Amino acid sequence: MAVASGSTPPAEAEPKGPAKGWAQRAGALSLAQRFLTLREGSIIIVTLIAFLYFALSTNKFLTSSSLKALLPYFAPFAIMAAGQVFVMINAEIDLSIGAVYLFTPFIFYKLNANVGLPLVLAMIGALIVAMLVGLFNGLVVSVVGISSFVTTLGTLFTLSGLTLIISHATQVTTPGTSVVKVGTFAQIFGGGTYSELFWAIGIALVLQLVLTFTRWGIYTVAVGGNRLGAAEAGVRTKLVLTRNFVMCAGLAGFVGILEAVRAATTTPDPSGANVILFQAISAAVIGGTLLQGGSGTVIGAFIGAIFLGILQDGLNIKGVSANYFYFWLGIAILIAMAFNTYVSRVRTGSGHG
Amino acid sequence: MADVQVPQERIVGPQTADDDVLRVEHVRKSFGPITAVRDINLHLRKGEVLGLLGDNGAGKSTLIKILCGFHRPDGGTMWLKGEPYAPKSVLDARQHGIDTVYQDLALVDQLTVYQNMFLFREKIRKPLPFLANHIMRRETRKALEATGINIPRIDVPVARLSGGQRQAIAVARTISGDADVILLDEPLAAMGAKEGALILDLIARLKAEGRVSIIMILHNYIHVFQACDRVSLIQDGVIAFDRPTAETSVEELNEIVVEEYRRARQAAMAEEAGVARAEDNGA
Ligand SMILES: Nc1ncnc2c1ncn2[C@@H]1O[C@H](COP(=O)(O)OP(=O)(O)OP(=O)(O)O)[C@@H](O)[C@H]1O
Ligand SMILES: [Mg+2]
Repeated sequence: MAVASGSTPPAEAEPKGPAKGWAQRAGALSLAQRFLTLREGSIIIVTLIAFLYFALSTNKFLTSSSLKALLPYFAPFAIMAAGQVFVMINAEIDLSIGAVYLFTPFIFYKLNANVGLPLVLAMIGALIVAMLVGLFNGLVVSVVGISSFVTTLGTLFTLSGLTLIISHATQVTTPGTSVVKVGTFAQIFGGGTYSELFWAIGIALVLQLVLTFTRWGIYTVAVGGNRLGAAEAGVRTKLVLTRNFVMCAGLAGFVGILEAVRAATTTPDPSGANVILFQAISAAVIGGTLLQGGSGTVIGAFIGAIFLGILQDGLNIKGVSANYFYFWLGIAILIAMAFNTYVSRVRTGSGHG
Repeated sequence: MADVQVPQERIVGPQTADDDVLRVEHVRKSFGPITAVRDINLHLRKGEVLGLLGDNGAGKSTLIKILCGFHRPDGGTMWLKGEPYAPKSVLDARQHGIDTVYQDLALVDQLTVYQNMFLFREKIRKPLPFLANHIMRRETRKALEATGINIPRIDVPVARLSGGQRQAIAVARTISGDADVILLDEPLAAMGAKEGALILDLIARLKAEGRVSIIMILHNYIHVFQACDRVSLIQDGVIAFDRPTAETSVEELNEIVVEEYRRARQAAMAEEAGVARAEDNGA
């Protein structure tokens, strides 16, 4: 799979040069080690272990209704984590995505129900508002120079509050959804059974391509790895940072709309939204994105989201009581991360992951 | 230290020649209260290699970063190839033909050798804006072979390379472009004797081609006399000495620097004595 910089690009069929040396070295490695040279190798193993554990220890886990329950659970994190990965590779963090996720569907509702825009236009308008929030975050971080942790924490509370104000803390019926018949709009944007899954796969693939094979991706790594050096080389670091915040917020807003359409109601629940924020960050981190920046993959975050989904679904099926649920979730995340770190040490053959 | 008043007579005034590629007059730059570059007058002839010497903190790197468009000067004027020159960005300077090896090398540890070689110079495959990695790998290999320094693999992150290898990459990145004014900020700092000689050879070859003009910051006088046509000395943000290398010697340069050191010590001792006297009076 295509991975971000730092991993080894496919060996070229050249008789001379570094490619040959690599091929020889790789031949000497065991198959397992070769697999682990993929940055996503460790999270794939962790996810498989979790999958096998639940598949073998319960007999309901592999049923289609259980797997269908898993889809809407992991797809939203996978999309939000994809945006967060870009921000985290920049050595920043966006804590406001939960609030943007909460806020955007209400704008969608207002634009449709109060302003009278058709569904698609209302959605585009709501996404633009979400991206404006990202633009604000990005400019405050890159131009004013306030840390992203503080900036987006501020945006988080402001937007959560604003959502409660404009919604009067009451839920509404999401535009375009109806109990009687699911329309085409709703089918595509969250209402269809596999809608969110398709969006998640499509977005993850496109963004991984962007990260690995475009200047945007290279500059994202450069700005996170050596901000001064990147600027000295000519990279417009403020533009790179701002662009990633805008994309991250846009994706969070999009997921907010998908989920509102799927549930058919739009609910102003700030605490639920922030759980989603932390799950998205967990998915990115479990998937191998470093908090200190310069390294990460979208595919890894996608698999990290699947891991969280399996865990949630599996614990539900095993009948773990609600009180124990977050406890076990936390323990499982810690174990997964420890394993991840250990495996990446094996991978790099050094003391630092 | 930078705020010590510099006697006016020590500042080398503006000089010009008909074949100047680059001319700098009264350029200054401060960072808040710190004056890094006070009043720099400098000129660079076509095909010339100018060596820039100076103590730590004298303002050499700041001057280089002004020339290459990274810092905007607070005042002064610059001309490039006869035209007024006020670069808006590093990219703008590069489009004018000025390229730089920074003291900190401007490499990204997490990116591979070839990605660093082409950082902000990426080759793009048309019509989709994807990176043309094959071309960049091939050209990286060619450029590194030209330096003669051994970099075994170009697909590894530069974090895994030695200091000298990293420096070689930064130098190769700059000189393999098509800049005709090249600025090198301590390009030999991390190099072994052999690698340093290779880089100086490379610079001699560039000079022989006659296409490029070079400003090189150095700390080693031997390198200055080996590679440079002319030498300038920066002290406290001004050029305090400027002479063709053929008309000066290691001894003379040493004498100037030691003289400066003596003066600074005397000033410090006088100040100490003054403080002691003030304390005595207070007691
Ligand atoms: N970005 C900056 N912000 C604040 N002060 C700076 C900055 N860059 C340089 N300075 C200050 O300007 C002065 C000159 O620094 P400069 O890096 O130009 O020195 P230098 O001659 O290159 O020294 P060295 O030989 O150690 O590389 C120093 O006092 C330094 O602290
Ligand atoms: Mg310097």
